[in-house]
Amino acid sequence: MVQSIQIFDPIKTKKTAKRNRAIFVSLCIFPSLLFLVMFMYYPIVETFRLSFMKSSGLGQDRFIGLDNYRKLFVSEEFRAGLVHVLTWAFWSIVIQLPLAFFIAFSLTFYVNRVSKPMRAIYYMANIMPSAITAMLGKFVFSPNNGILNNLGNQFGWDWLSNMDFLGSERLAFWSVFAVATWAYTGFPIIYLMARIEQMPKEFKEAAELDGVTGWKYAWYILLPNLVYPLRILAVLCTIGSLKLFDLPYMMTTGGPGHATVTLGISLYRQGFINWQYGRASAIGVIIFLLSLIFTIIQFSGKKEAA
Amino acid sequence: MRTGFKLHRAHYGWIEVFITIILVLFALTVIVPMCLPLLFVFKTQLEYSYDPWSLPKHITVKNFLEAWDAIKIGEGLANTLLVSLGVVVLAVPCAALAGYVFARYHSKVTEVLFYAILVCYFIPIQMVLIPLYKFNIKLGLSNTLLGLILPMAAFNIPFWVLIYRSFFHTLPKDLGDAACIDGAGHATTFFKIMLPLASPATTLALLLIFIAAWSDYFLSLIMLNDQKLFTMQLRVSQFLNAYGVDRMPRYAAAAIISMSPTVILYIIGHKWVIKGTLAGALKE
Repeated sequence: MVQSIQIFDPIKTKKTAKRNRAIFVSLCIFPSLLFLVMFMYYPIVETFRLSFMKSSGLGQDRFIGLDNYRKLFVSEEFRAGLVHVLTWAFWSIVIQLPLAFFIAFSLTFYVNRVSKPMRAIYYMANIMPSAITAMLGKFVFSPNNGILNNLGNQFGWDWLSNMDFLGSERLAFWSVFAVATWAYTGFPIIYLMARIEQMPKEFKEAAELDGVTGWKYAWYILLPNLVYPLRILAVLCTIGSLKLFDLPYMMTTGGPGHATVTLGISLYRQGFINWQYGRASAIGVIIFLLSLIFTIIQFSGKKEAA
Repeated sequence: MRTGFKLHRAHYGWIEVFITIILVLFALTVIVPMCLPLLFVFKTQLEYSYDPWSLPKHITVKNFLEAWDAIKIGEGLANTLLVSLGVVVLAVPCAALAGYVFARYHSKVTEVLFYAILVCYFIPIQMVLIPLYKFNIKLGLSNTLLGLILPMAAFNIPFWVLIYRSFFHTLPKDLGDAACIDGAGHATTFFKIMLPLASPATTLALLLIFIAAWSDYFLSLIMLNDQKLFTMQLRVSQFLNAYGVDRMPRYAAAAIISMSPTVILYIIGHKWVIKGTLAGALKE
C-alpha cells in the first residue's frame, strides 16, 4: 500500500524524499558537531573570556582587562618560554629540515636492498608515545648512570663522564632538543619522500640524460620543486614548537631554573600549580594567536608547484 | 626494469655505497636507543654496576617483575586500553558519517558546517585546556576515564572527517545513485554499500586514532588525578620522577615493557601507519 502511494503522488513523494534527505544529513553531522561544540567551540570562547578575568577556581571571576597579559610579559618564566619556543622553532627548521631532505633524497635516489626498508625504521621513533621518548632520552642523557656518562666512564673520557646533560643550564635545552630531533625528524622524511615520489618520472630520466646526477640533481631540480612542501613543514615545525610540552616537561620539568621552560609548561604551571586560570588562559590565547599568524603566513604564499 | 637497474648501479658506484653507509648510521641512531635497554635488563643491579657493557651472564626476569610492580603496569595497560578503545568507538563512526555526508550531500549548509569542523583541526589543545578542565568538574566527569575519552574523541574527529570526505569523493558517484534507484534509503545505502567500500579509510582511522589515544600524555595529565586511573604514559612519567635511572636494569625493564605495545603494533602495521599519516598531509 505504502508503495503505491509513493508512486502515484509525485508531489508528496518529492516532499518526503526531501525531508528524508534532510533528516539523514542532520543525523549524520549532528554527533560530530555536538562533540566539537562541547569540547572545542565552547572552550575556545571560554578561554578568551577567562583570559580577561582574574579567576582561580575559588570565588567569583573578576574582570581585569588586559592585566593577565601585562603580568605575563613581565614574568620571567613566560618570557623564557617564549624565547625558548621561538629558538626551538628556528633550530628545528635549520637542523631537522635539511637533515630530512638529505635522507629523503638519498632514500629515493639510491634505491637498493639496504635503503628500501629504511623508511619504516626512520619513522619508527615518531610514533613512540612522548613518555617513552622522554624515558629513552633520560636513559641516554641522565647524570652519572645515563648511557653517555657511562660510556665516558668506560673509556676513561672525563669530559664525557662529567657532562651534566640535563642538569646544566647550558646543555639542558640542547639535550632535550637532540631527543626531539631524534623523535620528530621521521615525519618530514616520509613526507618529503612521498612528495619526491609523486614527481613525474621524466624529471629524473631527463636529468640523467643531461648528465645531471646526484647532488646537482637534488639541488637544481628537486629542491626548487619542493619549496611548497618545505614551507608547510617549516610551519608545522613552528606550530609544533609553540605547543611543545611533553618532552621538556618529562625530561627536565622546565629546569634547571627556566632553562627548558616552554609556553606549554608555563601554561601548565600557571593553571594547574598556581591555579591562576585567567593567566593560563591568556597563555593559551597567545599560543593560539601565534600559530594562527604562522598558518596565515603559510596560506598567503603562492602555491607554486604544489 | 632490469636493465635500468643495472645502469643505475654502474652509474653511482661508490657514492651510492658511501651514502648508504651514512643512511645506515642514521638508522642505527634511531634504533640503538630502543634496543640498548635489552643489554641491561637481564642483569642484577650488582652485575650492572660492576660491568655495565658486558653481555649478561645469566638471565634474570626479576627486573621485569620489579618494574611491573613499581608502577602497577597492569592497571596502567588496562586503563590505557579502555581509553583508546573508547576514543576509537566514539570518534570513528562520527567521522565516517559526517565525512560521507560532506562528500555526497552538497549544499550551502553542509559546506559551511564542513569548514566549521575543519578549523578545529588547527586549534592547539593548549587553547582549550583550562575550560575543558572546569567543564569536566561541572559535568561531574573530572577524574574519570570518560572525562578523558570525550574530549580526546572530539580532538580526533576533524582530521578524520577530512579523510573520510576525500575518500568518499574518490568512490564513483553512480554507486550510490544506483542503490537509490533500487529503492534503498539513505541509511541503507550508506551502511550496506558505501561503508564497506570505505574499509581502507576505516582501517587507517581505527589504527591511527588508537595510536594517538594510546600515546597521549598532556590531556591525561590534566584530566586524571587519581593514581588508580593513571594511564600507561602517566605511569611512565611517574616512574621517571620517582626512580630515575638509579637502578638501570629496572629502568630498562620499565622502558621495554612500556615500549613493546607500540613497537609490536608498528612492526605489524607500519605500512598503514605511514599511509594514514601521509593521507592528510598530501591533501592540500
